[in-house]
Amino acid sequence: MSNFFYVSPEQLIKDRAEFAQKGIARGRSIVAAIYDVGVLMVAENTSASLNKISEIYDRIAFAGVGRYNEFDRLREAGIRWADGTGFTYSREDVDARALANYYAQHVGDMFTEGQKPLEVEILVAQLGSALRPTKLYRIAYEGTISDEARFAVLGGDAETIKGRFVATQADLEPLAVTLHHAVSALSGPERQIDVADLEVCVLEDRGTRRAFSRLSDQHVAELLET
Amino acid sequence: MGLPLFSASEDPGPSFARFAERAGLIDGAIGSASSTHATTVVAVRYVGGVVMVADRQATSNVIASRDVRKIEAADHNTAIAISGSAARGMEFIRLAQLSFEHYEKMTDSALSLKGKANYLSPLIQRNNLGTPLTVIPLLAGWDPSHQDGRIFEYDGAGGCYERRDFATIGSGTPFAESALRLGFRTDLDRDAALDLGALAVYEAGDNDPSTGGPDFVRNIFPMMVTLDPLGFTELGDDDVRRRFEAINERRTLSQGVAGGTLR
Repeated sequence: MSNFFYVSPEQLIKDRAEFAQKGIARGRSIVAAIYDVGVLMVAENTSASLNKISEIYDRIAFAGVGRYNEFDRLREAGIRWADGTGFTYSREDVDARALANYYAQHVGDMFTEGQKPLEVEILVAQLGSALRPTKLYRIAYEGTISDEARFAVLGGDAETIKGRFVATQADLEPLAVTLHHAVSALSGPERQIDVADLEVCVLEDRGTRRAFSRLSDQHVAELLET
Repeated sequence: MGLPLFSASEDPGPSFARFAERAGLIDGAIGSASSTHATTVVAVRYVGGVVMVADRQATSNVIASRDVRKIEAADHNTAIAISGSAARGMEFIRLAQLSFEHYEKMTDSALSLKGKANYLSPLIQRNNLGTPLTVIPLLAGWDPSHQDGRIFEYDGAGGCYERRDFATIGSGTPFAESALRLGFRTDLDRDAALDLGALAVYEAGDNDPSTGGPDFVRNIFPMMVTLDPLGFTELGDDDVRRRFEAINERRTLSQGVAGGTLR
């Protein structure tokens, strides 16, 4: 005879949330912020090749924290979705909001129905154009989607980092200043992060179709010095 | 379209064509349709790069368009040109452009030029063996890893062949190729290669009814591009016009005779 244990839905959700939170908290955080002419994304990442930030489309970027294999699959699905949509309709019909919603649905489904919830938190960033506004969409492990006004923090220690970043943010500032704030928010007062351990990407108009670029260590060091 | 997630064993990888097929975005249409076609595109290697020249005319039973762009930048240092069905050709270029970019985003590394050339083979095969609307592309580019200009031509079944001198596609090929065979040297510089490419397309336009020559009335001239360490560069209208005016003047002096020396 087998035993059946009753688990209340509240308890189930709580357990799953705890599980996901624990997984996410193990990794390093990411800060994304809108600056005067673009969107900046900064990740603390000791690997130079396993990226946390990536290009999705002409004006859309992706960032993920938590389990690498899980958010990398979401990244790939996002590129496929964007390229497929642009190919079927037109490049200007590819909208970050639609992608963020699909992500939220999938992550939410995995949270309630999956074998285990995804231990990830992701960000979809869009650089504004004549058609669309600049946006930061954060999707949490349980599928909630939030539209962040100026900046977003992903990862374990998000609240502390958020607090540090708010304290320094006034108006939209130039890239170098915003990068400074982002890096000191990530590191905190007692720690200094080596430039080699920073992954820095931006979405910015440079007269070409693709707005995404990955900044070299040298470029980041120069920006931090100014 | 929903979020395209695949299990590890069914994952289409960084190939956009394989993904698009899986997602039902493309399929090989069967059947016959009246289509616009006919072209002359030439590619000529020179010391330090490749030039490409293409006429601008699309032909069905009548001249369907006089200002078609048959060469497109596939990415920063690769150009792709098409001959055959215009509809299929345009889709082909779009698919190739997107595929190279898709690969780059998925893997965070660019495809090699040879990789791009090989990638097109099954696409040509799928199109040409499945429909009567055949497409033959021509791929040329600057290969940063070999520091060399390279040209890849294809047969109708998708076979890919690298050419170390020049290549032509389209209905004007016999005439363009004759000019290239006589005028090509291994030590051509950029300027000489551009003039030779222009002459080849001029010859094709002069003899092939489906290839358009320089149109001084409408100010429409063949498209000329170079691929060198700076990447894909399209020549300005004035530069192109000057080169064709020079050929026209020589031909006027010789009363239309091309032979003797290459005029």
